[in-house]
Amino acid sequence: MAQKNSTPWVDYVIFGLTVFLVFCLIFESFIDLPSLVAWLGRWHPLILHFPIVLLLMAAVIGLLNQIVPKLLLTIATLSALVTAITGFFLGTESVPKGDLIFWHQWMGAGVAFLAVVWYWLSTNHLQQTYLVKGIQVVLILLVGLTGHYGGMITHGEDFLALPRSKKLEKIPEDPLIYEHIVYRVLDNNCIGCHNPNKKKGELLMTNINELLQGGESGPALVLGDPGNSELIRRLHLPMEDEEHMPPDGKKPLTEDEIQILERWIALGASDTLKLSHLDNSEPLAGMVKKMMDSGTENSWAKLPKVADSTLQNLASDYVTIKRIASNSQALSISVFLPPEYDPKNITDLKRIANNIVELDLSGIPLGEKEMELVALCKNLEWLEVDRTPITDMEFAKIIGLENLRVLKAYETGISDESVAVLKDFKGLKSLYVWETQISDQGLSELREALPSLHLDYGIDPELKTEFIEKDTIVDSIQ
Amino acid sequence: MEEDKTNSENPLKVNRRHFFSQLSVGIGSLALGSLLIPDLFKGGPKPLASQPLGIPHFAPKAKRVIYLFQSGAPSQLESFDYKPTLTKRMGEDLPESIRNGQRLTGMTAGQDKFPLMPSAAKFAQHGKSGAWVSEFFPHIAKIADEICIVRSMHTEAINHDPAITFFQTGSQQSGRPSMGSWMSYGLGSENQNLPSFVVLTSRGKGNSQGLYSKLWSSGFLDSKHQGVLLRSGKDPVLYLNDPDGISRSDKRHLLDHVSSLNKIHHVETGDDEIESRIAQYEMAYRMQMSVPDVMDIKKEPESIIKLYGEDSQVPGTYAANCLQARRLAENGVRFIQLYHQGWDQHGNLPNEMAGQAKDVDQASAALILDLKQRGMLEDTLVIWGGEFGRTNYCQGNFDPKNYGRDHHPRAFSIWMAGGGIKPGITYGETDEFGYNIVKNPVHINDFHATIMNNLGLDHEQLIYKYQGRRFRLTDVAGNVVKDILT
Repeated sequence: MAQKNSTPWVDYVIFGLTVFLVFCLIFESFIDLPSLVAWLGRWHPLILHFPIVLLLMAAVIGLLNQIVPKLLLTIATLSALVTAITGFFLGTESVPKGDLIFWHQWMGAGVAFLAVVWYWLSTNHLQQTYLVKGIQVVLILLVGLTGHYGGMITHGEDFLALPRSKKLEKIPEDPLIYEHIVYRVLDNNCIGCHNPNKKKGELLMTNINELLQGGESGPALVLGDPGNSELIRRLHLPMEDEEHMPPDGKKPLTEDEIQILERWIALGASDTLKLSHLDNSEPLAGMVKKMMDSGTENSWAKLPKVADSTLQNLASDYVTIKRIASNSQALSISVFLPPEYDPKNITDLKRIANNIVELDLSGIPLGEKEMELVALCKNLEWLEVDRTPITDMEFAKIIGLENLRVLKAYETGISDESVAVLKDFKGLKSLYVWETQISDQGLSELREALPSLHLDYGIDPELKTEFIEKDTIVDSIQ
Repeated sequence: MEEDKTNSENPLKVNRRHFFSQLSVGIGSLALGSLLIPDLFKGGPKPLASQPLGIPHFAPKAKRVIYLFQSGAPSQLESFDYKPTLTKRMGEDLPESIRNGQRLTGMTAGQDKFPLMPSAAKFAQHGKSGAWVSEFFPHIAKIADEICIVRSMHTEAINHDPAITFFQTGSQQSGRPSMGSWMSYGLGSENQNLPSFVVLTSRGKGNSQGLYSKLWSSGFLDSKHQGVLLRSGKDPVLYLNDPDGISRSDKRHLLDHVSSLNKIHHVETGDDEIESRIAQYEMAYRMQMSVPDVMDIKKEPESIIKLYGEDSQVPGTYAANCLQARRLAENGVRFIQLYHQGWDQHGNLPNEMAGQAKDVDQASAALILDLKQRGMLEDTLVIWGGEFGRTNYCQGNFDPKNYGRDHHPRAFSIWMAGGGIKPGITYGETDEFGYNIVKNPVHINDFHATIMNNLGLDHEQLIYKYQGRRFRLTDVAGNVVKDILT
């Protein structure tokens, strides 16, 4: 074996990179990369192809009892190290690290370290030991797994999953609790193993009858009694318990998901129950709404990025621009009336129109120009134009804002002509239009077009009269 | 070459020179790595929470809070916690098994008997939710379906000052920042022309306890987060108006000069309070324009005035403050704290409490209705309640027409509305004597955690390090009461 590398600097480089990688992994939580170094991480998706091919090649050659060319092994090891390090850099961009990145990182590091060990052994003439064979086998497996996890990070977890017939749809406005909520929870967590193809524990979970019929351990649920339902019992077992579901290694259900199942069973596990049937004090209603809301937050994930400096430039003493939450691109803007008002304060917001989700223009002397800006805010969900001089003409500008959820337009000049515009806000949930010119007829037309709309036309006149009547407290005490 | 040879023959035979040359590469790599850690060798304070300030941690349900504090502790037994057992067992001694060693104040500890006293006010169920509300609160009864009554609040404090300090700052000892200051610190201001934390006070005819500015102090937080007390009458903020003969542009020049002097001072001393002061002068300048406008309730139409009651036209009354609170909320004030004094009924409870209730009942309910019609209940959290409850036994002479009740920290009632709180529910339960909580207790820390949650803040993440200790509003406790959230 005269392949001894006569250039020791290669050894040093490999050793140095290994130490550097170990260092990075150990001090991960303290590391804050300079942007240039972070940029190096972007090369990870390119470089990673080298170690996959080269290491697999080297390992296969070794397993076939051939001598692994030194040069091949050297380049493979180096590329594995560089890939692991750039991968680490890239990984720091996503905080917090998800499960996928976590495993990908550690397996990737494992590949690099194994390659280094192999390199070291072969440098020291230990090519053909069983230890090296073992390393080669493990390397092949690990390279495959790491690659697979990496693929899932970039292409999504179900990229390699077999095509599924039933696509999860958006939760409708007034969902059926079983079909749209409970089934979704079961489908996400259980049905993978309890379906006609797998039927683990003889249990099927694809419809209610199957749940009642149960499996090896008897019925999965007892109507009205979550405490005695096998399904719930197993969800609540400690994670280490053999019988805990989902089994080891699968993602456990969230507290909310378990509670949804519990309350649904407690209420009789009906398949016709709807959200609107539930009492407000019923915890299930809250959890379902939360599940539906998380959908809206997800839609914000697609908003374009907007820099803090842009926000600072557009904000002023009278225009407050806030992110809805940290790390969110969704913006909430409140405008207050300055001593000298200029529509430019509002029309300047054009640059960030797509990010505006909440816009408060209450009490501002709005005109056409400002409403044109509002019309540009396609992702607007919450709009306040109350106590403004707008009339039907200005209001017509904002037709077609389909994401609008809340609209406050009380004390404005809009009239029945605007009902057509209002009817077109399909997603509208709350509308405040008292002290406008809209007639009773216009209101009933609106109620017909949007049945689930909460339409506020001021305080109920009957309640108001009762309210203003003479105080009864003092009489009662005498 | 000789060296290399020995080395390659036996991998374990590493000689000294070889060791050091390899080591240097290793250390070099470590050093390279350490460059990636910015504050490694500085030893300075690390950021406590990774969350940026002035932005909610997650999407909020509420943007602002109106806290209607009933100072002195209104009795839960004459308001929201209906206990028919007390009528049945009227005059009987409170069983020791119920009191269970609870400490009493010096005012009743000396009593040899603790006779159970029923409510002088009659109760009825109201709204679709069937909430029990006493006849002292006829207007609040009408909005029962808008509010969430919590009957299971409890605290550790037994006297007014520690109890109210606990409610306002999360600690019985004074010195910590007030709740409103924490919110201002965590969420920033919505309107740069008004303070983010405003305080309004009023006083009823009932027996009252003192209010101190420490309750709205910013404690160790920057003083710009401190609550600003708005006074009733001509000058809501003292000395805000320019003196005679000083024009607004004169004032501008003055401020510019003072500010440049202050900046020099800041460069010399590095004291951050100087910067806050500069900011506050600027805020005051803008407030000269904004405050009179916000505080001018003459612009309110007749129907609104009637809704809040005739009192709302009298500056300094609770009703006027409620109306004012709505105007401040509309103008982007984050935290509006009202105090109404006079709820400390150790004696003459039926009459005094009726008077107190008359002060607040209509206006509190009107505020809810008014916020609702403006769509503001969707993002404004309203809280009504005192600092603790009152005993189920009689203090002083046993007279069902004229009795008193002592302080009771173990169970009391408050209500909340809007801002992500479920409407039309009653949460928590006390035993048949109304003495102990038997279901769903809510501690003050939990109450704080829940409010912060609805404002989009994680109560465990909003931390301020001061004098070597990390502080939170909920300190080391608190759980969000999820059951009352929408």
